[in-house]
Amino acid sequence: MISSGTFHVVTTELVVGAFSVAGLSFTLCLLLHLGVLKQPSWPPVVDHVAHFTLAFGLAATPFAILSGLSSAPGEGLNSPILVNKMFLSMTGFGFALGCLVSRWRLGNKVWSTTKSAVLHSSSGLAAVGSMLLTASAGGTFARGESLLDLFHLPYEEVLLFPVFISVTGLLLGVIMLVLSWKRMNPSSSVH
Amino acid sequence: MKSRFHTVLVLSLLLVCSAFGAAEPGGNGDSIQDMQCGGACHGDASINETSSAILSLSSPSTIYVGIPTTLTLTATNLETSSTRLIGLFLLTDMTGHSDTPQDAGWEILSDANGGTMNYLEQTLTPGQNETSISWVVRASTLGSTTFYAAIHHGGGYSSPFFGTTTVGFEVSVEPVPENLPRLAADFAPPTLRMLDTPTELNIETQFTDSIQFEWKSDDGLISNSFVNSTGDNSWTTTIPAALQPTTIQWRVLLEGEGPEQTTPWFTLAAEESSWEVSENAVYLQAFALLFMTAGIVIALQTRFTSKSSPSKYDEAPLVLEELALTDTLSPSQEIAAPPRPVAGLPIGWTEEQWNTHGHDYLAGKHGGGQA
Repeated sequence: MISSGTFHVVTTELVVGAFSVAGLSFTLCLLLHLGVLKQPSWPPVVDHVAHFTLAFGLAATPFAILSGLSSAPGEGLNSPILVNKMFLSMTGFGFALGCLVSRWRLGNKVWSTTKSAVLHSSSGLAAVGSMLLTASAGGTFARGESLLDLFHLPYEEVLLFPVFISVTGLLLGVIMLVLSWKRMNPSSSVH
Repeated sequence: MKSRFHTVLVLSLLLVCSAFGAAEPGGNGDSIQDMQCGGACHGDASINETSSAILSLSSPSTIYVGIPTTLTLTATNLETSSTRLIGLFLLTDMTGHSDTPQDAGWEILSDANGGTMNYLEQTLTPGQNETSISWVVRASTLGSTTFYAAIHHGGGYSSPFFGTTTVGFEVSVEPVPENLPRLAADFAPPTLRMLDTPTELNIETQFTDSIQFEWKSDDGLISNSFVNSTGDNSWTTTIPAALQPTTIQWRVLLEGEGPEQTTPWFTLAAEESSWEVSENAVYLQAFALLFMTAGIVIALQTRFTSKSSPSKYDEAPLVLEELALTDTLSPSQEIAAPPRPVAGLPIGWTEEQWNTHGHDYLAGKHGGGQA
């Protein structure tokens, strides 16, 4: 058996590695659909790479979160950095989930218009950014320093909503998911 | 060819830059570590350099089983990086695994930084090139144990440095003399306390008639605290509150039938109250963020994508168009009845038949072309 700390290192390296490749691929997707890059054979390739790596990173994320909680010194969420890590990772999880579900249900239509392509790439990049910020906070927590320290990010400050706002946000999110899902599955014209 | 050259150039630059990221110049924090932190960073023979530090261990001449004793590591000839951070290890082996004092049956009761770790980090002051650090340990078995020490630190160009004691330091654990005044075998001294609160310390002893409690702060001035007896070999005393994060050291002088004994200096660190938050509120907000972001992304994506051109396989609009055309050409609704002939309806025709087929009759397509 390995310790939860070692398991956390393994899973976070998988998450960060996969999300980093996804970030690079989504950037290329965006540049290709905006016409900045003109490589006709690239869009399908970077599209597949971006979504596959995002899905892989997403699959590893829950293991990273759970092992991170169990390997943290002390009991529970005893540091504002840990709380911010939780918020950032779940936000990144949401962005990645939305991006992948959109691509799955809407298919290539997500790249059909400039506005849609920009939104899709942005959601993928937001997921990547959130996960990299989470990793940076982890470095600050474990070693007291991180590559992103040059931005002086306020990891020690926690924006904790009142419970009723969280409940409202949770319900709104679920409602939006359900309605959007139904909208993405219109009844067949044959019927 | 040019693009390949650029690719190779970029990859080469990335490889060169990776050399600047060796080890962890910010430290790793006090912890239980085997030699070389599991073989990472400073343990890689291909990138590390040998430290010039000279390490030596020392201990009291006599060590009894089950009684705390002090092991002191002295490091001299220190050269560090700009951070002046060093990491010091207390080990019982040099194999790189299962080499902590705990692995050899020793318990660390107190370390110099206010914990119970075998790996301690220390930041040197400018110009300081030697230091001394202590662990209070307790042996659980008789016999001899060989202790080693190791050091990690940075240096020029961020190279990781690694050094060890040249020879092991052997200590022999002896049986406890009868009636020797001592701390209880299961006594675990506290290592942390909160700020702004006086600390009540409960001490359990054996074969002890009276004790004297001494403590000192960083300035080295030794103070005494009054000790109350709360039962047979059970004592309590109070240490004044700390107003800022700092450490004190304390010890007790034990008197009984046997020879008078003095315990090692135990380190007690003061820290701010731990940060607390409602975990349910945190988890609720975390899931709210998850569903909100996913919901917003999917909703917007659906909205923006629905206005795009339909699939080439979607024939629904054509079918609907044809249906509408068929409805438009329905004769019963759109074609008016032909004017009735002056001579009246053809023989045998009803009014309804004329309204329906009158046009054909007039066009000569019905009834033999006779009007």
